[in-house]
Amino acid sequence: MSEPLLVLDNITKNYGAVEALRGVSFSIAKGEVIALLGDNGAGKSTLVKIISGGLEASSGKMSFEGRDFRPKSPSEAKAAGIETVYQDLSLCTNVDVVANFFMGRELTKKVMGINVLDEKRMEEQVAKAMATAGTRIPSLRAKVEHLSGGQRQAIELNRFVHWGGKLVLLDEPFAALGVEQTKRGLQMIRQVAAQGIGVVIITHIMQQAFQVADRMVVIRQGVVAGDVPTKQTNADAVIGMITGETLTGAGPVAGVGDSDPA
Amino acid sequence: MQPRQRRSLEFVLDNLVWFMLLAVLAIFSATIPNYFQPGIFANIIEQSSVLGVMSIGLALVIIAGHMDLSVESVAALSAMATGILFASSGIGMGITFTPGWLVVPASLLAGMAVGAVIGALNGYLVIKVKMNAFIVTLSSFIWVRGLVVAISGGRSAQNLADEVRFLAIQRFLGIPLTAYIAILCFVGFSFMMAKTRFGRHLLMIGGNEAAAFRAGIKVDKVLMIAFILSGTIAALAGWLLAIRTSGATANLGTGMLFNAFAAVVIGGVSLKGGVGALPGVYAGVLLLSSINTAINLMGLPAHYTQVIHGLLVLAAVLLDTLKQTIRKRLA
Repeated sequence: MSEPLLVLDNITKNYGAVEALRGVSFSIAKGEVIALLGDNGAGKSTLVKIISGGLEASSGKMSFEGRDFRPKSPSEAKAAGIETVYQDLSLCTNVDVVANFFMGRELTKKVMGINVLDEKRMEEQVAKAMATAGTRIPSLRAKVEHLSGGQRQAIELNRFVHWGGKLVLLDEPFAALGVEQTKRGLQMIRQVAAQGIGVVIITHIMQQAFQVADRMVVIRQGVVAGDVPTKQTNADAVIGMITGETLTGAGPVAGVGDSDPA
Repeated sequence: MQPRQRRSLEFVLDNLVWFMLLAVLAIFSATIPNYFQPGIFANIIEQSSVLGVMSIGLALVIIAGHMDLSVESVAALSAMATGILFASSGIGMGITFTPGWLVVPASLLAGMAVGAVIGALNGYLVIKVKMNAFIVTLSSFIWVRGLVVAISGGRSAQNLADEVRFLAIQRFLGIPLTAYIAILCFVGFSFMMAKTRFGRHLLMIGGNEAAAFRAGIKVDKVLMIAFILSGTIAALAGWLLAIRTSGATANLGTGMLFNAFAAVVIGGVSLKGGVGALPGVYAGVLLLSSINTAINLMGLPAHYTQVIHGLLVLAAVLLDTLKQTIRKRLA
């Protein structure tokens, strides 16, 4: 967990006169899980969109794997190895599970010189990925509009686990999941991180953040209000940073830390 | 419900328009004298060719979640371009080639180029300038027709070269070659929609444009191609129309837009985007032609055609809603 994967340096984003981000800096290492916390409107989703290529920063620098990084579109970010799971689901409900799984990366085979979708191979891979993750969906050929909210979110989570890449951004990924599925989702995140993939997870649920993250980064009013290892802080301190009771740049909490039995 | 029962029910729902077509043909054959004969069916297929081709382009854009009202006028402009350049009487310039058959590719290319340019302009305004597709293409619908009237001065071009007319006159199995061109278009574009990445992307953009964009699909590029295709295909329809009528008049094809719309909706394409397939659209076109033919044979005044088409579109939309309800229960 030493080599920085993604470094953000003083990222800002203006919408006209409104400053959504006022200079955000932090970094994430390979295999590290960061919980990005903050109140509604703090700028978390804006930040995720800037990293994933959905928005361009107004100023500031990003480097990914040591190289300058400024994605102009999601396809560029994807090509660099950044996968994103958005809070409003990014599925096309009018097509089946397999088509969604391979959205934008369909496998093809040559038939008489024409690239034709290789449905069989795609279905096999999806079935395998779903089985590995323990997700059960009655038919992979069912249109997603006929599936439940939990099943849909499971598809998205399995999709990012399958494609992996180098960095995964998760924007409120468990909003529609039940208790058991959430637990499995958190396990998935640890598995992904164990493969050396960096993970940024946005969540409102403090318990989830403490369960899964190595480090907490708190955004408040468009700046980083706190950046601390999970083991050196506690829920009260983090809530203090989110609401602004603690001063900007709050560090480790005294008394919590190395002696923590966890 | 048993999986087999369920599968057969889904099959019926997916292909409902074909069953409707068969039912309508059966009823007409049984009740209308002289309906049941090969010549009538050949005529239905022949009548479907121009409208069918035009409906393909319209369906592609609607499946992608947009709209192209300009197809009818683009077809007219393509027909007029073909007429003015290659017809020998009226306002036709009567350009000829040696060997003579070169007029076929030349006129086809000229017509389709006109369509591609207007399609590209529509696409540019919708995608880059971010104007509403309905308004952009409504405006094209009006000004392109205006252009047809302006360049022709309201007059007509007649007498296309025999080498081109050949396509409308020569029959194979009782059906003119132009109808085979339409069928070939349906086969080709159905394949594109069902089996290629481009078709899959078009469908997904119609379903959820934001998701497709986030998944790294180049949405702008795909939509641009869809608009250009729509214009080019409409131009092909216009070329076929010019061949069939051996020339072009300023009001050629007027009213086809609404028939194309009816065919697309009856064929199971949802105006919301993301739903529908081209074989269904062809069935929709055939259904409209079958009904037109029936009206002709019964000797009803042609004015009723429009009433029936309108009601048919309503019925199609109702049926679509009903299908959705049944599908929800199936899931």
